[in-house]
Amino acid sequence: MEGQVGGSGEEFAVGCLLSIKTTLGDEFDGQVMAFDRFTNMLVIQEGLKSGPRRNIRLLNANYIKDFSFLGQADDPLDPKKCFLDLSRLQAREHLAVRQAEADAQRIGVGVTTEAQNIFDALSKTLPVRWDKTVIVVMNEVRVSSPYLPESVSGGTAAANERVKKVLEFERKRLQARGSSQG
Amino acid sequence: MYNGVSFFTVECEVGFMCGIEGRGLLLLMMNLQQVMPPKSTANGFGRRRGEREGGTRLESKSQSGKSNSGRVTTTGSVIGSKSGSCAVSSHDKLLYLASCLIGLSVEVQVKGGSVYAGIFHATSDEKDFGVILKMARLIKDGNFRGQKTVAEFVSKPPSKNFIIPSSELVQVIAKDVAVTRDGFANELQSDKQRELMIDSLISQTRHVEERELEPWIPDEDVPQLPELENIFDDPWNSKKWDQFETNETLFGVKTTFNEELYTTKLLRGPQTEELEKEAARIAREIAGEDTQDLHLAEERGSSIHENLGIDEETRFSSVYRGTGFDDSGYEEDEDIVLNTHNNETFGDSSGSVDQISTDFAIAKSSDGGQLSSSSFIVDEAQTSQSDGTGADLYCSEIPSRNFSTLDSESRVQENLLGECGGNNDAKDFVEKQPLPEDAQLPKSGDSQSSPNREKAGTIKVGRSANATPYSTSHVLSKGNEKTSSHGEPVDVAASCKAPGEPQSVNSRGRPGSSASSNSDRAAATSASSGPGLSPSSSMGSLSSEKSTLNPYAKEFKLNPNAKSFTPSQASARPLSPVADNAFYHPPNVSAVPHMHGLPVGFGMGPSLAAQQPVIYPQIAPMQSPQTYYHPHGPQYGQQMLVGQSRPVFYLPNYQPVSNSHHLKVLKCLTKDEIISWLIGLEHLCGGSALLTERNPERLLGIIFWEGSSAVHEIAIKPGSKKVLRDLSSSWDMIL
Repeated sequence: MEGQVGGSGEEFAVGCLLSIKTTLGDEFDGQVMAFDRFTNMLVIQEGLKSGPRRNIRLLNANYIKDFSFLGQADDPLDPKKCFLDLSRLQAREHLAVRQAEADAQRIGVGVTTEAQNIFDALSKTLPVRWDKTVIVVMNEVRVSSPYLPESVSGGTAAANERVKKVLEFERKRLQARGSSQG
Repeated sequence: MYNGVSFFTVECEVGFMCGIEGRGLLLLMMNLQQVMPPKSTANGFGRRRGEREGGTRLESKSQSGKSNSGRVTTTGSVIGSKSGSCAVSSHDKLLYLASCLIGLSVEVQVKGGSVYAGIFHATSDEKDFGVILKMARLIKDGNFRGQKTVAEFVSKPPSKNFIIPSSELVQVIAKDVAVTRDGFANELQSDKQRELMIDSLISQTRHVEERELEPWIPDEDVPQLPELENIFDDPWNSKKWDQFETNETLFGVKTTFNEELYTTKLLRGPQTEELEKEAARIAREIAGEDTQDLHLAEERGSSIHENLGIDEETRFSSVYRGTGFDDSGYEEDEDIVLNTHNNETFGDSSGSVDQISTDFAIAKSSDGGQLSSSSFIVDEAQTSQSDGTGADLYCSEIPSRNFSTLDSESRVQENLLGECGGNNDAKDFVEKQPLPEDAQLPKSGDSQSSPNREKAGTIKVGRSANATPYSTSHVLSKGNEKTSSHGEPVDVAASCKAPGEPQSVNSRGRPGSSASSNSDRAAATSASSGPGLSPSSSMGSLSSEKSTLNPYAKEFKLNPNAKSFTPSQASARPLSPVADNAFYHPPNVSAVPHMHGLPVGFGMGPSLAAQQPVIYPQIAPMQSPQTYYHPHGPQYGQQMLVGQSRPVFYLPNYQPVSNSHHLKVLKCLTKDEIISWLIGLEHLCGGSALLTERNPERLLGIIFWEGSSAVHEIAIKPGSKKVLRDLSSSWDMIL
């Protein structure tokens, strides 16, 4: 398995249309964009035609269980049109990371789905964040497991009340929705 | 072999960098930090254990202690490239493609079958191909073969840096990757388009991607029913079709609607007719005012734009593109408007451009401050644009910073006055007469007025000061640039539009539900203290609130050549500075009663179908007048004065309604937010909301409920948590 599959570069010539099965059970068709013998990485563009945006796979050829040759076409990648704008890429990455971090903030770690649902419901109208498994609302009110109106603590009386109410309401709504779906 | 540490979970500082050169060939230089138990992280990069390809691309490999930032070298050498003659080696291609993935969300499958999703950060350029992801999380656990483990239970936060060594890597799957120039352009474009084009974005951004608008052409096979379109054209038609009657007839539904629930009850008394006439007069005046604001002008029927090549979108669009707007149109407008005003108001005597320049001069001399951005006059007419929100927003940018507080004051007063209840039947505008005097400008007014008395100019000046905040601002907001360059003249122009145009206001009668423009009188607090608004203006308006309106400003002798305007008795002067002030202090609830008092006077009788403004003498408890038409209202400086006196006048009889008009703990930061809030309210209460901005500080909203016979004007101070004033007693109820 560690050996080069197919061995010869021809089979993975650029532009080949292949149908591939991996050892892990994936199957797909695509066109070879590149194949690097040294790292044994095969780059495949999925689908049989090229467009401005493509689905790409970088597959370690070691894990190709089986493949079949569908045809030969031209190089899907036109070197004349290829260039990289580093700053743009980095910017894109930064943005993606920031967004991912923001999203991650919204997901509670080690909390139940129910808790997460409650969090999501609360976040629609109130500013909420996770503090381990405690939902912190408006930075003052804390709702801990099991996230019942009784578990609401902290904050001013008004805020507390408000959170309790919203929590009750959201719970009811989730229940109603859950039961209607279940 | 890693010392028993699962490399999946080790998070180390990785000194990767992808250095890419924007050329066809690229070279990625990366050092994969050894995945080893903790310590290695600190120091730079250990050599990768893999052997380096002899002499190939890796050039500076060990950067000790510091990230390799992208040493980029061109891969000249092709390592045994099978591509033969092609200058681009396969490895290079691999690297290029991998680089295209940077920043994208990808899925990586590893040997055990698990799949991790994360943001592609880097790959290794060594013999083996490893990958580093950022913010990676497990989305499919290889242990549960075939099962989608969309983590029911998120057990751990995403890994900031997740390294997948080549020995584990099976495949990297990325979707929608742009690999060529076409793709890049495509990507950029779609990124941009995702931004929502909200009003403030459009108005404040210089460059907005505009779409090509196409005129709507109705389908051919749609039945043409012209009678449906005309049915409500006649503004005086309200007697002919009574919705309540119809409902009752058709469905047996009896209405429980009582107009008085929503607005101040109009008291009809012996002076009803007089009041009505007065109100009508004022309405005419207001509606006939010139405005720089395209929308208002449209509303009032002034056709100043026909020659100006203003396209439909500008004319009817609700978004005022302040900064990016084409100023040229406005300049022409001003001139034209000025001329028109002059002509109309004063016959041809002042029709010359000279007049205008005089005005300008005067305006200038009066020094700026006069013109406050009250969009009263404008707003009045404006409000009625029932669909309003957009149009009204037009004046959002009210730069009239240059304008004196005076105006704003007066404006505020007017607003205050104008507020009571408005009424959507305020077609009373129709009757408005030109109001040449604008002496109201307290300070500036005086100084300027005198010389100009005889000329439209004076009025203009004065007026401009107060007037048309909307137009002014409109003009001004065209970037303060315009303001600065034109300074007063602009204002003057705006104001010039003044009194005179008793245009066919009548015809313009607002269709039923439009808010009475009166309501607009109230000082609008423009929520948006956005970039467009200069701080000074806000200061101005705020301070204007504190400054006192010149009670004497009203003295204005009309040019005999002008359309006659005789201040009626009712149009007294502003009460007193104190009283005025009362109006201005937003938090001062007591102002409200005053205001209410006023409107009552001018409200229209409930039974008034027509839009005649009715002026009621002060009659005992004024309850919400139905029609809030403030003839003397705020529109004109002088009117303002007049208006102000009114409240006092009626005050004794007035029973303050309100206590709690400080509703709504609402923090509105921008005009848009206020708008959305009002719109939200409208849905709640079944009315429609119009917003106008009278001056940068306050936003005036008008809301109609139910049968649109009640108008609530609210003034909201941006950034504060209260509605400054609600002009209708039924506000509480509704909210």
